[in-house]
Amino acid sequence: MRKGRWIRSVLISTVVALAAFAAVVSLRYHPVLGLDLQGGASVVYKPARKVDTATLNETISIIQNRVNALGVGEPSIGQQGSDIVVDLPGIKDPKTALSYIGQTAILQFRPVLCEAPLYTKPPASLHLKKSQLTPTCPTSAANTTSTLQYVPTTSPLKATSASTALLPEYQGTSKTVIGRYVVGPTLMTGNAIKSVYAAPESQSASNQWAINFTLTSKGAPLFNEIAKTYYHQLLAVVLDGTVQSAPEINSTSFNGQGQITGNYTQASATDLATILQYGALPVQLVQQTVQTISPTLGAASLRAGLIAGIVGLILVMLYTIFYYRLLGLVVVGGLATTFAALWAIMAYLGHSAQLTLNLSGVTGIIVSIGVIVDSYIVFFERLKDEARNGRSLRASVDTGFTKAFRTIIAADLVSFIGAALLYYFSIGDVRGFAFFLGLSTILDVASAWFFTRPLVLWIGNSISPTHYRWLGVPVVQVTRESAAGTGVIKPSRVAAKGV
Amino acid sequence: MVADDRPDAAGVTGTADTRENDGFQTKTIDASEASWWRRLGAGATHYPFVERSRYYFVISFLVIVAGAAALSARGLNFGISFKGGVSWQVPSATLTVAQASKIVARAGVTQATVVTLGSHSARTVEVQAGLTKLSGAARTAKENQVASLLAAKAHLPSSAVAIEFVGPTWGGQITNAAVKALIAFFVGIILYISLRFEWKMAAAAFIAVVHDLLVTVGIYALSGFQVTPSTVIAVLTILGYSLYDTIVVFDRIKENVGGLVDPGKMNYSDAVDLSVNQTLARSLNTSLVAIIPILSVLILGAYVLGATTLKNFGLALVVGLTSGAYSSLFIASPLLARFKEREHRYRQIRARLERRQAPVEAEGLPAS
Repeated sequence: MRKGRWIRSVLISTVVALAAFAAVVSLRYHPVLGLDLQGGASVVYKPARKVDTATLNETISIIQNRVNALGVGEPSIGQQGSDIVVDLPGIKDPKTALSYIGQTAILQFRPVLCEAPLYTKPPASLHLKKSQLTPTCPTSAANTTSTLQYVPTTSPLKATSASTALLPEYQGTSKTVIGRYVVGPTLMTGNAIKSVYAAPESQSASNQWAINFTLTSKGAPLFNEIAKTYYHQLLAVVLDGTVQSAPEINSTSFNGQGQITGNYTQASATDLATILQYGALPVQLVQQTVQTISPTLGAASLRAGLIAGIVGLILVMLYTIFYYRLLGLVVVGGLATTFAALWAIMAYLGHSAQLTLNLSGVTGIIVSIGVIVDSYIVFFERLKDEARNGRSLRASVDTGFTKAFRTIIAADLVSFIGAALLYYFSIGDVRGFAFFLGLSTILDVASAWFFTRPLVLWIGNSISPTHYRWLGVPVVQVTRESAAGTGVIKPSRVAAKGV
Repeated sequence: MVADDRPDAAGVTGTADTRENDGFQTKTIDASEASWWRRLGAGATHYPFVERSRYYFVISFLVIVAGAAALSARGLNFGISFKGGVSWQVPSATLTVAQASKIVARAGVTQATVVTLGSHSARTVEVQAGLTKLSGAARTAKENQVASLLAAKAHLPSSAVAIEFVGPTWGGQITNAAVKALIAFFVGIILYISLRFEWKMAAAAFIAVVHDLLVTVGIYALSGFQVTPSTVIAVLTILGYSLYDTIVVFDRIKENVGGLVDPGKMNYSDAVDLSVNQTLARSLNTSLVAIIPILSVLILGAYVLGATTLKNFGLALVVGLTSGAYSSLFIASPLLARFKEREHRYRQIRARLERRQAPVEAEGLPAS
């Protein structure tokens, strides 16, 4: 009856591993490749000065918005201590993207040339020339807004300060576009603003709020000039390629300070004040590392890692089969189920928890081959030990495993503690490496208990005594009457079993 | 260190068959007839690890001293991740080192190093330079200029060139994190071994691991291999691996001490020797299966297929694994024996065993 239980355990563990593997394959989940394997750009920013958590979180959310505006596949923005890590896998033009993301002052004051209707897709029948798709305001009443509605909104990357652009205004923080403006080249940047505060509108009986600003000594005359030129026109406050507000200029002389009024609540007024105050990011960011990798180079690294790993794995399997024969096949089966399970976990976590597999992770897995196979070696050597002490094969398997498993747990725990501490304390690639090493250690213990033990027990109980040689290098034993006399090489008697 | 050829006292020479309850065939072979391979598989080797340990300690000491000398003379060759700088990687089969150096020099980048890895379609040319004096936009412009020049020479689009910039303070951060991880690792492992085994084992294992760390750093200083974050990862792995290796041997020592030393049948040093010899087949097999995939990474992945990161990993792992396998057998175990032999209890056992053996020697059996 015990035989039935062993076979069941082997079957169940194999089926669980293979089913998990089949499940992720059929769901089309696959491990998410890191930047170094699929190409892309990665940058680590450090705030130029010490900032509190709130500021850091605000910075991260602004970067998040900027990255979203780029429309990259699966960007990841993370925090590492006080550093901000931005990963943009598969991005096409990393240089422009990175300089855009990390910019501090993208706050621009631009004249509104005209308001534009919301974007509509041009009907298929309408063939527009390229010149008609540039943001230009209708020059006369006759040439109305007919084509302007078909002109797409200028992407934040292209909304450079020198050109005319068609920029959107969103409702609050939502994605709903509530207006579009054709704006001219930038007249002034956020640097001209000295200080800003939001306060309730003094003359208003209603609950309206206003934004009060003071200009720098350089900014004040510049602003007066702008006010003269664009008197009674709209001035767009542009941040990251979107119009935050477009108040009308209703004075020609500001004397270094001004007030923006309109339909502002306390919240929206404070938001606008913050934007004006800090430009874009509340703190300047310094690039710590920047990495751009082309997809071809990434693919080459992936290929190198995979080929090296697979060749290494095959050589290890050949060696174990050569040395342990039938038991070597157990190792092969165990490695196959362990790696099926590992793949399934990687794919699932890649899908649900943004776990990425980078080159260090691949190396971690390759290193773990050694740790996993060692558990088998410890077990098989122990098994032979027991047989040498005169036990029957069945008993050897049983007690051999009990003793070996204790060793395996002790050794794997050391490996796991190491990996866990590495993961917790380190930064960058080290974490990916530690994660995969730790994961393999856990899988190793599980596989030893649920797969290897019952399978070897079953083999030990089923194999005919005439076939013991299938178990590999003969079981040999030395008998030592007395161990006393250090350094003396004692006469040995070596016994071979099953030869 | 060859096993003695004298026939066993019991007089069993040659081969003899015995039958066991489950039909297990037993063939008895004398040690003189068994090959080294077979003795190793049987755990029947008799290498006196403890007795010879002072030679091993001297060897390790010399290696470490040589490493320390190289370290103080010329230090470690830190990669741009630690110093700060820019690296360009060009996947090209045709771009030569001379061409790349010339291009970089013409672009006004001084003190650049150019290396190639891999061959044919998997060849990569890597250029590294300081560039930390330039700031912000000027640096980015220079990076892009060099990238497009290199790409043009290699007939590639400029986006095919991988660029990595590392700020001057980033390396400090990595080192900081690594040192923290290292300390936490040591504390955690020492605590674990002290609880699971005993503190003297923890001390011996710890010294062996520090030995591996020093040897690896020393070899990096001697050879001038570049130190990158991958090297740091690799070194941390090695430490875990070396400990793992040591634990398996210590587990056997613990068992043999319980079964042989405590009842007074064997002294502690002999128990250590016995344990190391018994687990020798396992230790060698383990080191072999650990080193096979890593050699594959180093030779195939790095030198044939040209993956730079794999090279950095592979070198440190090969150096460290070798040192780790060595230290488990030749440093950790003999050290443990020396620590334990100082204990009153084990000194007593040794003295009692020696007294018991003395009359036997008097009857004419030489001690060695």
